[in-house]
Order: sequence, then structure tokens, then C-alpha cells
Amino acid sequence: MGCRTSPEVGGMGHPIKRKEDLRFIQGKGNYVDDVQLPEMVYGHMVRSPYAHARLKSVNTENAKKLPGVLAVITGEDLAKANLAWMPTLFFDKQMVLATGKVLFQSQEVAFVVAEDPYTAADGAELVEVEYEELPVLVDPHKSLDPASPILREDREEKSNHIFHWEVGDKSATDEVFENAAVKAKVDAVFQRCHPAPLETCGCVADFNAATGRLTIHLTSQAPHAHRTLFALVGGIPENNIRVISPDIGGGFGNKVPIYPGYVCAVVASLTLKRPVKWIETRSENLQSTGFARDYHMTAELAAGQDGKIQALRVKTLADHGAFNAAAQPTKFPAGLFSICTGAYDYPTAFCEVDGVYTNKAPGGIAYRCSFRVTEAAYLIERAVDVLAQELKTDPVDLRRKNFIAPQKFPYKSPLGWSYDSGDYDAAMKVALDMVGYDELRKEQQEKRKRGELMGIGVSSFVEIVGAGPAHTFDIAGIKMFDSSEIRIHPTGKAICRMGTKSQGQGHETTYAQIVAEELGIPASDVTVEEGDTDTAPYGLGTYASRSTPVSGAATAVAARKIRAKAKKIAAHLLECSEEDLDWEPGKFFVKGAPSKAKTIQDIAFAAYTNMPEGMEAGLEAVDYYDPPNLTFPFGTYICVVDIDKGTGEVKVRRFVAVDDCGNIINPMIVDGQIHGGLTEGFAIAFMQEIGYDESGNVQGGSFMDYLLPTAVETPTWETGKTCTPSPHHPFGAKGVGESPNVGSPAAFVNAVVDALSHLGVTHIDMPIAPWKVWNILKEKGVVN
Amino acid sequence: MEGVEHPEGEGRGQLISMAMQIEKTFQVKEPVEQVWSLLSDPRRIATCVPGAKITDQVNEKTYKGTISVRVGPTTTDYNGELEIVRLDSQNHEIEILGKGQDVKGRGSASMKMTGKARALEDGSTEITSVSEVNVVGILAQMGSRVISEVSNIMFAQFVKNFQAQLQQPADAAAGEAKPISAASLAWAAAKGAFHRDS
Repeated sequence: MGCRTSPEVGGMGHPIKRKEDLRFIQGKGNYVDDVQLPEMVYGHMVRSPYAHARLKSVNTENAKKLPGVLAVITGEDLAKANLAWMPTLFFDKQMVLATGKVLFQSQEVAFVVAEDPYTAADGAELVEVEYEELPVLVDPHKSLDPASPILREDREEKSNHIFHWEVGDKSATDEVFENAAVKAKVDAVFQRCHPAPLETCGCVADFNAATGRLTIHLTSQAPHAHRTLFALVGGIPENNIRVISPDIGGGFGNKVPIYPGYVCAVVASLTLKRPVKWIETRSENLQSTGFARDYHMTAELAAGQDGKIQALRVKTLADHGAFNAAAQPTKFPAGLFSICTGAYDYPTAFCEVDGVYTNKAPGGIAYRCSFRVTEAAYLIERAVDVLAQELKTDPVDLRRKNFIAPQKFPYKSPLGWSYDSGDYDAAMKVALDMVGYDELRKEQQEKRKRGELMGIGVSSFVEIVGAGPAHTFDIAGIKMFDSSEIRIHPTGKAICRMGTKSQGQGHETTYAQIVAEELGIPASDVTVEEGDTDTAPYGLGTYASRSTPVSGAATAVAARKIRAKAKKIAAHLLECSEEDLDWEPGKFFVKGAPSKAKTIQDIAFAAYTNMPEGMEAGLEAVDYYDPPNLTFPFGTYICVVDIDKGTGEVKVRRFVAVDDCGNIINPMIVDGQIHGGLTEGFAIAFMQEIGYDESGNVQGGSFMDYLLPTAVETPTWETGKTCTPSPHHPFGAKGVGESPNVGSPAAFVNAVVDALSHLGVTHIDMPIAPWKVWNILKEKGVVN
Repeated sequence: MEGVEHPEGEGRGQLISMAMQIEKTFQVKEPVEQVWSLLSDPRRIATCVPGAKITDQVNEKTYKGTISVRVGPTTTDYNGELEIVRLDSQNHEIEILGKGQDVKGRGSASMKMTGKARALEDGSTEITSVSEVNVVGILAQMGSRVISEVSNIMFAQFVKNFQAQLQQPADAAAGEAKPISAASLAWAAAKGAFHRDS
């Protein structure tokens, strides 16, 4: 796409440098833990060492005696205020502080507040808790065993079953399978992962007794929604709550839920009438806050001998831990998992998901993912590879044979989605050329003859992002619109306030570029402000790649409202009628007489100094955008791996990522997003798992066990693009933040399985650690 | 929820057990009867375990006690019970069940140990112990790599104390073995972890 604006204006398509980085690279960011307030005190959480135990007593006497300790809050204390439990974002409730029993290791049991963080931690050690251990349920496959303990005594339903959800035509699907010539099946676990943002969760709750106002500085991806929930649950008038989400050091879905620590800090501040800071440690973050995935999936594909896919059947068990704290749209208990039919054209599918409780941390959040899309993309892209193995055909050929053709859009998927636009084969072609696919296949043949192991993995994913249309999408009842408010100052500079909240996505730059594109005001003259509920228009926040599809759209529409008013002012200044005017970014001019023009800056000044008679002063607009549909970004990723037979280590030799996210605001930021997401996908595929032992002890509770890739492990990424604009988005964008995390795990795993496919290997569960590969090589007799 | 079947084995997440089996064998020059009199007396044997102390006898077979385990900067004090499940003087075998809770509420540990003394031809005695240890809580999160190193160090100390105790007359007042210093234990465990062959 060519740029309509000059680099100086910096509208869409310009790779301008990120404005926010100036303060970040100087260490001048302002994160929640940087907030310092007079009289501030500190909270520390007492946590359960047991995954399942009856709480016999909580003795706080010794803790309270420690000099410097100001308060110790227990579940019983909260119960008196009816706050021992709080609602989750998905039709469940969770304990703020435990009463009765604990249900997962590291569950919150008591909250100690002291004059300094060290005294608070010492005080927490002095809280004596007596537990009686109970049988532990760790394996979700055993959740529904009659022999397993019922975990949730608070529920009327005496079962560990949370929900059953299904979509599609079961009988039609079963019928296709009965008659199918070829069938392929894969059992795939998408393991429990954690977003592990660089900044852990935390808050400073500041109740001012003089004004009656509560200010919460919060690591929040959705400050407005959180304000409303605090008002509804805490009974505090919403106008007396101000949530400020300052700079956020990565969220990835981890900062969407409300956590017990936030509630405890608020209660402590209300009690002590002093600001209370609570910041998680790394281990607390990994062990107790929103995990992702933990989907135990089975996919089956039915096809003809010609390789045309006829139907998909999916059965999934979702492990939600002790409480269903998934953060997703109300009508979708398994999120948008039904995008699992993928990039392929077939009429019949059926998908069912059952959610269960276990003695693990609560969650099921959307880690850089539009609600279970990552699980879905992984599953279908694995299943297609297994089908290719079954058919003894090339996985690329099989994909190309089954892609939805470009002329079929908008495409109605068998599970009910309407894909907005796509050209899947175009992205595939670019990826194949970039990687040199045919050559690689030849090389693989040669290497196999020599006994060397090399694999090529392909993933042609389809995303579904930008939730979402109000008729279908809400979170806890609040419709999933989003907002933008633009004010043009008299000198032609602007401020743009948003309902979303950047956690590193670069919103201060990209929203300014949208304003630059629509109004011709240089992006450098546009200040973008987010995260303060006292000033920003209401919005549902940033997650599920919704900022550009929803708030970005709102920004364009608000700017167009401003442009409409600007046109009236221009006509007044140029003494002509509106119909006589043409627009190019930055100015209105008289048709056929380009020298007779008024710049947007002239017009802005006139809006305050010389407006037409009868016109309101000022130049500003707000838009609450309700998207007509979701957007469907896509791409093809190709991964090339070499396997060391001696150690089982997988070396990613090359990784080509061709993304299509529609029209691009800032190509440099898109590349950065893709690099980051691919690195996360790489870690998930090869390194990361929040595991549990039989007693419910967390086995991924610190960075010693939950590994983060550094520059040493991370492969080099090669990116490419195609551009298929969204037909319904105001400027044709689709959103990109999550695509690389969604699309890449299948490419990595497909490559490893491809390297071993001639040995009869059809699937390996993530994370593919060297020992797993080595065991397979040993089992297959490749090594002794 | 009917018809939810998920296959065992392939494609399943794996559960790792924190229960560890630790088998140790060592020899002492004393004859088997002398060794057995020590091995079968919980009050005396407890003095050999680094950081352990018998505080009370509940009944013939059950004792109360404490044990202090230091790993790096953290000390975990367990408070619990020791039960002699089986005492076979004929075959010189003893089976002990120990269960303790961390006094600070950070977890628990249980151990089932079978000890056996066997006379060797030269008049000396071989002692074999097989322990199944299960740790729950913060300590368990550190994983088996740390715990097995710690148990190795504790065992080495135990053998030393055991040999020293054999020199004492049977009715000598039961003392208390010193807990190993935090620094030396942490350092030795770290060295062990880094220098393992496997």
C-alpha cells in the first residue's frame, strides 16, 4: 500500500519510531511499582502450600505483634463484609482469601499489611495456618471420576464439571465420518502456559477519607471494566473510583482478570485510610495468576481419496483449575475455539468442549490470543499434517487443495463464522518462495538417505480478532464496543484519548498515525492518552487483538466527524460552499484551484476564533465503535528444523512468517509484534509448561523451571507480507498482535514431527524438550 | 457429561510425581546385634538424623518429634509423628512411617523408610535403607534436583552420626544432632547439582 501522507506527517504505512520508547529506553517509564505516595504501606500475601486442604485455623496473633505490622486480613474477616468471594469474569466465583478450604497451591489465605515490604513479608511468615490435607485432583481426565473428590463445596452442583458447550451439526458430521474414505485423528494437549509478562501484577489502592474517593493504580489491560466491577462488587459509587493504569510492562491477557491481591489492597486501604501497595513476586505471578491453554483436544478429519477434506470433529477437555476465571465473551464458554475449522473449505463440522475443575490455579485467560484461537489454530494445523501423513501427500499440496478460494469471501464457516476476507494461497506462495520449499524437500530426501534428521513444518492459520459486534459480544454484560475521543487544540495540535490500554503495543504511536492519516495533523503533534478512567472515554480495553480493529476504527470515525466539521469551517473561511471543496490529508482546497486552501491547522484556529455564525466552538469528536463483524487475519508460517540425534535437541534453522493483517498502520511495529509473538510461540513449543506433580505442587513456579527464551535460544525470524484489507473496517486493518503466537506453535511442532515422520511419528506434545525427542529416537531404534 | 472419553497415553499431559525413592547402603564394622539395637531404638536413631529431635513418646510405637531442614536461605522446621509400623527383630528389619508439617504452614513431608541390617561374613554389618519421600509445598517446587542433593548430604551426615552413636553405650543419654549449617549445606547441594554425572 502506498502512503497517502508524507513521512513528516507520518500517516498510515510509515515506519515511524515509537514515541513511547523515548521514555522507556531512558528508564523513565512509570509503572505501578514506581508509584510512591505519602504514608504508603505495603501488603504481602500468605499463600497455601497445599493444593487441596481443609483450613482448620488461621492464627494472626504473632504476626500482629510484629512491630511495623498494621493489619492482617483473613478470609473470615472478609466474609464479615461479604467479600470472601468475588465473581470471576465467567459465571463463576473465586475466593479472595480462603475460607473453609484451599483449592490450589499458592492460593491466597491472608494479607499482611506493614510499614515496609520487608516487615510485611516477615509478618506473613508469622501467620500460623493449620491445614488438614485432602486428596488432590490434578489430572483433568479424572475430574469426572466418581472416585475423585468434589472440589467445589460452594456449588449446588456436586460435580467437577463446569460446562458442556457444542457447536455444529453432530449427526451430519458423524454421517460423513461413517462414509469417509480417509480419516485422520490426533490427540493433542495444548499445555498449561503462562504469559509471564516482564512486569508482574500489582496495584496501589489509595482511599482518601477526606474526599471519599478511591484511586487504584492498577496493572490493568481494561481499566474501565475494572472500575465498573469494583463499583458493582464493592458497592462503592463508580464516580468515586478512579482506576489509573500507568505504563504496563506486558499483559498478554494476564492483566485482564481482577486478582485477590487487588481486592485485599483496596480493603486494607479502606480500613487503614492509607495508600496500600501490593506487588506480586515472579513466583506468585506464575503460580496464582491467570494461566492460559490447558486444552486436551482430539481432532478428526474426514477426507476423500482425492485429499479433499469433508468434515472435522473435535472433542476437548478444558482444565480451568479451581475456579473458572476465564476472561472471555459471555456467550462463549470456550471462547472463539470454533474457528478450529481453519483456512479450509468444507461444509460439515462439529465441536464440543467440556470444562472441568482441578486443584490448580484458576484461569483460562487468552494469552496473546483472541479467546482460545491459539488452541484452535494449533489443533487444525496439526490435524491437517496428520491427514497428509495418512494420505502420503505433501502437507503443502493438501493445504492448497483445500484452501477457501478468494472469491468465496465473505465465507460462512461450518461452525458459524463469517470470514471477512482472505487469500490464503497468496500468503502460502510468498512463504514457499521465501523459504525455497522445493529445494528444502530435496535436501530432506538426501539427508534421510544419510540418516540425518531434518524437518519442514507449515502452518496456514486463520485468526479471528477484534471482538466484537455488540449483538454477540459482551464481557460480564458490557458490550464489546470501544472508543476514541479526539480534541484538536487551537494551534492545530491534538490529544486523543482511548478506551483501550497499551501494554507495549505502541498505541501512542499508531493511534497518532491514524489521526495523521485522517486529518493530516503530523503524528508527532498528536498526544495519545490511555488508562485513566477519569479522563478516557469508556472502553473494554486491550486484549484479543481488538485495539486496531475496534478503537482504531473509532479513532478513524471520530477523525472523520472532525473532518466533516472542519469542512464547514473551511467553506466559511474560503467563502465557498462545502460542495466546492476537495480534501487531501492536511487541507481543504477549492476544486480546480489548489492554491485556494485552508490547512487543518488554519481550520483548528478558526474553530476557536472565527467560527461560522451559529456553530458551536471547538473541534472535537468522540466515537464509540461497534464493529459490524470480527476481522480474520491470516498467514503462512514455515519452519525448518535440524535434529541432533545425540542429544535430541531441535535446532530451528529458518523460520519464515508471512502475515496478512490487512492495511498496516506502522510496518515497523507490525514486524516487532511478529518477532515478539514468534519468540513466545517458540518458547511454548519447546520450553514452557506450568506442570504439576501428583500432590499438586507447581513444577513451573519460577523462571528456574518455566523457561524464557533469551537472544541465545531465539531463532532468526524472516518476515513477509501480503495485504488483503478487511472490507468492513474503516481503513481496512485487521489486527496483528496475536497472529505470531497463534500461528507459530503448529509450524514448530509440524517441523519436528516432519523430521521424524518416516519413523512413524505422527504427534509430539509440547513442550518438545530434547529428552522427549531423544526418547522417541531411542524407542524407534535410531539411537541406542 | 456423557461420552467424554479421552485416551490414555499418547497425547496426554504427563504428571510428574514428587514422591522420590531413595535407596542407600552402607557398612559398619560392628556386629549385627549391636547395630540392630541402635537401629531399632527411635530415640537413639533420631539423634543421628541431622536436625532431628524426638520430643515425646505417644505410645509404644509412636513418637513426636521435629526436624529442621535447611535449603539455601530457607529453613523448614517440620513438626510431626514417627510411627514404627513393623519391627522384625528376627530379620533385623524396621519399617517407619514419618509425617510432618512445616511449622510455618508452608508444606508437609512424609516418609516411609524400611531399614535392614545384615550380618556380613567378616562380622561387620551392612545397613540398607529404602525411603519413599513425598514433599508437598514450597520446598517441593524446587524440584527433585535440589531435594535429592539435600537428602544425599543429610544421609552422609547420618552415616557419620550413626557410626559415632555405635561407639556409645546403648543407655547413653540421647543427645541431639546439630543441624548442618545453612551455608555448607547450600554450597554442597549446589556443587552436587552442578557436578552430577547424569
